[in-house]
Amino acid sequence: MDLGFIAQYFVNGLVQGITYALVAVGFTLFFGVLDVIKFSHGDVLMLGAFTALALFLGLDQLASPAWLSLIIMLCIGILAMGLLGALLCKFLVLPLKESPPLNTLLITLMFGSVIRESVRLFFPNGSNPKPFPALLPEASINWGNLNLRLDSVILISTGALAIVVTHLIIQKTRIGLAIRAVAQDEETARLMGIDFKKTVLATFALGSGLAALSGISTGLYYQEINFSMGLMLGVIGFSAAVVGGLGSIYGAIVGGLLFAFLQTLGAIWFSVPAYKDVFAFAVIIILMAWRPTGLLADRSAERV
Amino acid sequence: MLTIHNLTAGYDAADVVSDVSLEVIKGKITCLLGANGAGKTTLIRSILGLNKIRSGRVSFDGVDISSFATHDIASRGITCVPEGRRVFAKMTVRENLQAGAFLERDSDVVAERLLQVFALFPKLEERFGQLAGTMSGGEQAMLTIGRSLMSNPSLMVFDEPSLGLSPLFVKENFRIIKKINEKGMTVLLVEQNVRQTLAIAHYGYVLSQGKIVASGSVDALKDNSELRAAYFGNA
Ligand SMILES: Nc1ncnc2c1ncn2[C@@H]1O[C@H](COP(=O)(O)OP(=O)(O)OP(=O)(O)O)[C@@H](O)[C@H]1O
Ligand SMILES: [Mg+2]
Repeated sequence: MDLGFIAQYFVNGLVQGITYALVAVGFTLFFGVLDVIKFSHGDVLMLGAFTALALFLGLDQLASPAWLSLIIMLCIGILAMGLLGALLCKFLVLPLKESPPLNTLLITLMFGSVIRESVRLFFPNGSNPKPFPALLPEASINWGNLNLRLDSVILISTGALAIVVTHLIIQKTRIGLAIRAVAQDEETARLMGIDFKKTVLATFALGSGLAALSGISTGLYYQEINFSMGLMLGVIGFSAAVVGGLGSIYGAIVGGLLFAFLQTLGAIWFSVPAYKDVFAFAVIIILMAWRPTGLLADRSAERV
Repeated sequence: MLTIHNLTAGYDAADVVSDVSLEVIKGKITCLLGANGAGKTTLIRSILGLNKIRSGRVSFDGVDISSFATHDIASRGITCVPEGRRVFAKMTVRENLQAGAFLERDSDVVAERLLQVFALFPKLEERFGQLAGTMSGGEQAMLTIGRSLMSNPSLMVFDEPSLGLSPLFVKENFRIIKKINEKGMTVLLVEQNVRQTLAIAHYGYVLSQGKIVASGSVDALKDNSELRAAYFGNA
C-alpha cells in the first residue's frame, strides 16, 4: 500500500483518537475521585455539540464572523457543560455516595436518556441529523495520496492541548493536588483541610467540559451531529478508559488512540466500513481479558 | 483548649463511645489509653467530624465545632496523624508535605515550614522525590507527622502512631512527639503503649468499652494500682 494512503489513515485516526481520549479522560477523572461510572457522559458530549450548534444559529443571525462564532461556541459550550457536570454531580451523584455504585451507574444512565430524548423532542426537528457548520479553514495540502486538511491539524492540536492542560492542572495546581489527594484517600484529604465536595464538583466540571470539546470537535470534523451521537462515543470513551486502566490519565489517552487505531486497521482490512467497530471492540474485549486491570494500570504510578 | 462534653457516638445501632467528657489542655500532652476496640479511634473521628456525633458536643478554643465539616475543623488548627498513617502512597514525599500545607496559599510560608520539617526529619529531605508508598513503615510514620506539622496546627491528634513499628522506631516516635510538645504544641495522644506514653504525657484518660474509667495527671494514673492491674499489665 502506498505511504500517502497510510499517512492519510493515520491522520484521520489521530483526529478520532484524540476525540475518544477527551471522553476517556472524563471517565477516568470521575472514577478517580469518586469511584463512580457516570454513564451520562456521552450525552453531555452530545448536548455540548447541540449547545454549540444553537449558539451558531443565533450568532449567524447577528452576522458574526466565523472565527468569533467558533470561539463563542467553544467557550460557552464548554462552560455550560462544565456547569451541567457539576450540577449533575451535586444533585445526582454525590447524594448517592453511600449507596451501591450500581445505583449511580443506573441513575446517570437514566439521566443520559433524559438529555438525549429532550434534545430529540425539543430541538427543532431534533430527531434528524443536523448539519454542523464548517467553521475551520478549509485549506489543505497534498502529498501524493495524502490530503492533509488544515482542520484536522487544528482539531488534533486543540485536543492534544486540552489533554496537556488537564494533565498540568492535575499535576501542578492546588486544585489538582486536592483532586489527587481525594482520589487516593478521601478522609485523609479532608483532614488536610481539603473540601471534598468542592473538589469532586470541580473534577466533574473539568471532565464534562472536555466532553463538550470532544462533541464540538466531532461536529466540526464530520459537519453533522445527531441526538444519539453520544451513545457510541460514550461507549468508546468508556472502553478506552477501561482498557487503558481506569483512573490513569495516560491510560485514557493510550486507550483512546488505541481504539481509533484499531478502527482504522479494521477499515483497511475489511473493505466494508461497518466492520471496523466490530473489529475494534473485539480486540478491546480480548485485551481486557488479557489485562483485566488495564494496559497501564500496573505501570502508571498515579491514580488520576 | 479542646473540650469534649458528654459525647456519644457509634455505628449503626450500637453506641461505641458513650457519655465521654475529656479536656485537652493547651501546651500539654494529654493521652488516651485503652485496649483494642475500646473506642479510641471512634472518639477521635468524632472530634474530627469524620463520624457523626449522636449527642454531646466538642468545643475548640471556645467554639462549638460539633457540627463542622472535617475540612473546617482542620482550618481551625486541628490536625491528625491518623490510625495506620495513611500517607498518599502515589504521591511523592514532597507532594504529601504540600498536601499537608494545603490551607496555606503563601508559597514562602510553605517553604519555611518545609525547612522546619526537614530539621526535625532529615530523612524526609533525602527522600523528597520518592513515592510515599515505597517508603518503609518507619519513614512513612515520619512523613505523616511531618505532613501534619505542615499545616502549622495548634492541636495535634495522634492515633496510635507507634502501631506496627519496630521498638527502635517506637522510641524515636515518642521522642519526636515529646520534642514537638516542648516547642509548645498541644497534643492528644492515643496509644496502647502504656509505659512510654505515660513517660511523656502530662494528663491521661483511660477508655474502656466506650466509657472513661479513669483520668487525671499522669502521676496519679501511675499510682492507681487498680488500673495498673486491669489495663497496664505490670507496667
Ligand atoms: N466503621 C465501623 N462500623 C461499625 N463498627 C465499627 C466501625 N469502626 C469501628 N467499629 C467498632 O467500634 C468499636 C470501637 O472501635 P475503635 O476502632 O474505635 O476502637 P479502638 O479503641 O480505636 O481500637 P484499636 O486500639 O484496635 O484501634 C469496635 O467494636 C469496632 O468493631
Ligand atoms: Mg483505633
